[in-house]
Amino acid sequence: MKITAPISTPAEVEPLVRAGARELYCGVVPPDWIQRFNTSGVNRRVFGNLNGYADLERVVDKATALDADVFLVLNAQQYGEQHLDALTEIGARFRSIGGKAAIVADISLIASLAANVPDLDIHVSSVATCRNVESARFFAALGANRIILPRDVTVAEIGAITQALPDLDIEAFVLNDGCVFEEGTCHTVHLPMNKGGPICIDNYQFEYRATERATGGGKPHERALRRLEQNDLDYKRWLWYRFGNGFSVAPNGYPWGPCGICAMPAMHAAGVHSVKIAGREGASERKIKSVELVARVLERIAAGEPEHAVREFAVGLRDAPSHCAGGYMCYYPEVRSRQALGDAEAKLPTAA
Amino acid sequence: MTSTQHAPTPDSGTRPIELGFALVDERELAAFARHERLTRDDYLDQLGEARDYVALPDDAEPTHFFLGSEFCEHLLPSVEAIDRAVALCERWDLTFGLVTPIACDGLFDPLRAALARLPAGAEVTVNDWGVARFVQREFPDLRPVAGRLLGKMLKDPRLPSATWARMYPNGLRAGPFRDILDGLGIGRLELDFPPFGAADMYAGIDFPVGVRAPYGYIAKGRICKMGSLSLDTPEKFSPGHKCRRECLGFNEIGARPGTHELPTSQRGNTMYYRHAKGMAAAVAEAVKNGWVSRIVLSGA
Repeated sequence: MKITAPISTPAEVEPLVRAGARELYCGVVPPDWIQRFNTSGVNRRVFGNLNGYADLERVVDKATALDADVFLVLNAQQYGEQHLDALTEIGARFRSIGGKAAIVADISLIASLAANVPDLDIHVSSVATCRNVESARFFAALGANRIILPRDVTVAEIGAITQALPDLDIEAFVLNDGCVFEEGTCHTVHLPMNKGGPICIDNYQFEYRATERATGGGKPHERALRRLEQNDLDYKRWLWYRFGNGFSVAPNGYPWGPCGICAMPAMHAAGVHSVKIAGREGASERKIKSVELVARVLERIAAGEPEHAVREFAVGLRDAPSHCAGGYMCYYPEVRSRQALGDAEAKLPTAA
Repeated sequence: MTSTQHAPTPDSGTRPIELGFALVDERELAAFARHERLTRDDYLDQLGEARDYVALPDDAEPTHFFLGSEFCEHLLPSVEAIDRAVALCERWDLTFGLVTPIACDGLFDPLRAALARLPAGAEVTVNDWGVARFVQREFPDLRPVAGRLLGKMLKDPRLPSATWARMYPNGLRAGPFRDILDGLGIGRLELDFPPFGAADMYAGIDFPVGVRAPYGYIAKGRICKMGSLSLDTPEKFSPGHKCRRECLGFNEIGARPGTHELPTSQRGNTMYYRHAKGMAAAVAEAVKNGWVSRIVLSGA
C-alpha cells in the first residue's frame, strides 16, 4: 500500500518523498490556458496549483530521481467541449516529460485521454463518485487504471470493489479535508470566505417545516423539534471535525480532521493500492506531517504487526484518543476500536 | 483530437411537450390513486405555492409518471409500490418511469427486484454509470434516461454574477459524452435549469432534453443529517447505516441573511433552489424553441 500525497510547489517533492510518499499529485494552470479560456479552472481547485509547465517539469524530474510517481489533476467535475482538446494536449505534454497518470472526473476527458494519450494512466477522481463494482467496471472499460473512491464509503464497500476487480488499482482517502456533500454531486464553488466560503459551512439560516403528510405542514411538533435541534447540535460538532477540528493541529503537530489511519490495516487487507492524503491547498508543514503520520502506521503494517495493535498505535499517535472516540473525525467510523479506546469512549470533547 | 460529430437535434418544436411528475414518497401514491385520470392541474397542485414558478405550454398534459429518488439509496420504492404505480399508469395511459440514485453495491439486488417489475418500454432514470451499465445488460427492454446527477453543471445560487457561472461550462455537447450515452443505450437526458441560465443553454444538445422544475438541486451528500436523527451518536453522519426516512416528514427552508438569492431548502441529503419566475419563463422559451421536449415536475 502506497501513500499518495498532494504538492503545490517543487520544493515539497523531496520532504514528502523522504517522509514516505511514493506517489504525488499536483495541478497546474498553464499561462496559455488563462489567455485562451479566460478562467483558471483547469481542475477542481483554483488555488494550490503549480505555476506552469516549468514547475511541472521540476516536480517530475525531482520525483523521478527519488523513485516516486507524479499524477496530474485534471479533475473539474465537468469541462466544456471547447476545453477537451487543450486538456488532452496538457495530458500528452505531461506524459512526454515523464508524468505517470492524470486524475480525471469528466467522462469525456477520460475517453479523450484514453484514445489520444494511451500511455498515460488514467485515475478516476473521487469527483466521479464511482463507488460500486458496476461503476468501476464502467470506468475500467473507458480506460481507467485506478479508481479513487469518494470519501464516504465503508471498508466493506471498498473490499467488494477490490475483490471484484483485482486488476484495477483502488485508492481510498485516509487523511484531511472532508467534504460534506459528495464532490461529484456538489455543483458549487468554494467562494472566498467573505462571500460565504464553501456552501456546506455558509451562513444559511434554515427553519424546519413538517411536510403536508406529516402534520399538514407548518412547524414540527415541539417534541419533534427538540429532537431535530439536538440532532443539529450533533451535526454541528461533526462539521467541526469534518473541517479539521476547527482547522487546528494536534499539540505534536499532526493534523486533525477526517482520518482513516486506524482503518489502514483493514484497507491493506482489502487490497487497497494507495491511501490518499487530501489538501493541495494546505501549508507544506501540514502536508509533511500528514505523510509522516500515515507512514508511521504503514511501517507497522509492513512489519506485520497484528491489526489490533496497529489500530491502537494509530489511535495513540496524536496523544488525544478522545477525538477518535466519538467517530466524528473518522472516514471509516465502523472500524473504530472501542476496546482500544477504553474509557475515552465516554469522554466526547465538545466542539468549540 | 475529439473529432466525433453528431447530427443536430431535429426541431421538436411542433410536437406537444411531454409532462411528467416525479414522486419520491411512495405513500403518496394513495392520493394519486383517487384520480381516474390525471390532468396538468393535478400535477401542479402537488407543488403547492411553488406551482406559480412553473410555466407550461397550453397543450401540456401528463404523459409520464415517475417514482423514486435520484438522491438516496434508502428511498428506492418497494416492489409493492412499483406494482401499484405501474398499474395506475396503465389506467391513466401514462408511461411509467423508475427513478434511481447513485448506488452502493448493496443496492443492486433490490434494484434488480424493482426493475424486474417494470413493463417493457418503461423508463429508468439512471444517475450512476454503474446502474446504467446494469440496466443495459440485464434489462434491455427498459429505456434508460440519464438523470440530472449525470448532466453536470454549475448550480451555485450564491454566485455573485453570471461571470462566475461561466467559470466551469458544462460538457453536454461534447462528442465523447454523447458517444458514451449512446453506448449505454441512453436516449434522453434530464437536466436542471441553473442560476444564471438562459433558454439557449439547451440548444445544440443533440438528444432529447427534459428539465426538472420548479426546483433545481445544488448539492447532495451521502451523509445525511436528517437520516441520522434516530441513530445513536457514534453512528450518526456516516454511510452504511439504516434509515427511517425522516426526510419524508421534515425539510428545512431558509436563506443566507441579507441576500435576495433564490429560495433555498434542504431535504434529507440534498440542497435545492426554487426557480424564480424568470427561470420558469426561460424554460418555457426553451420548450417553445424545441430545445426542451419534456418538463418533469417535482418537489424539493
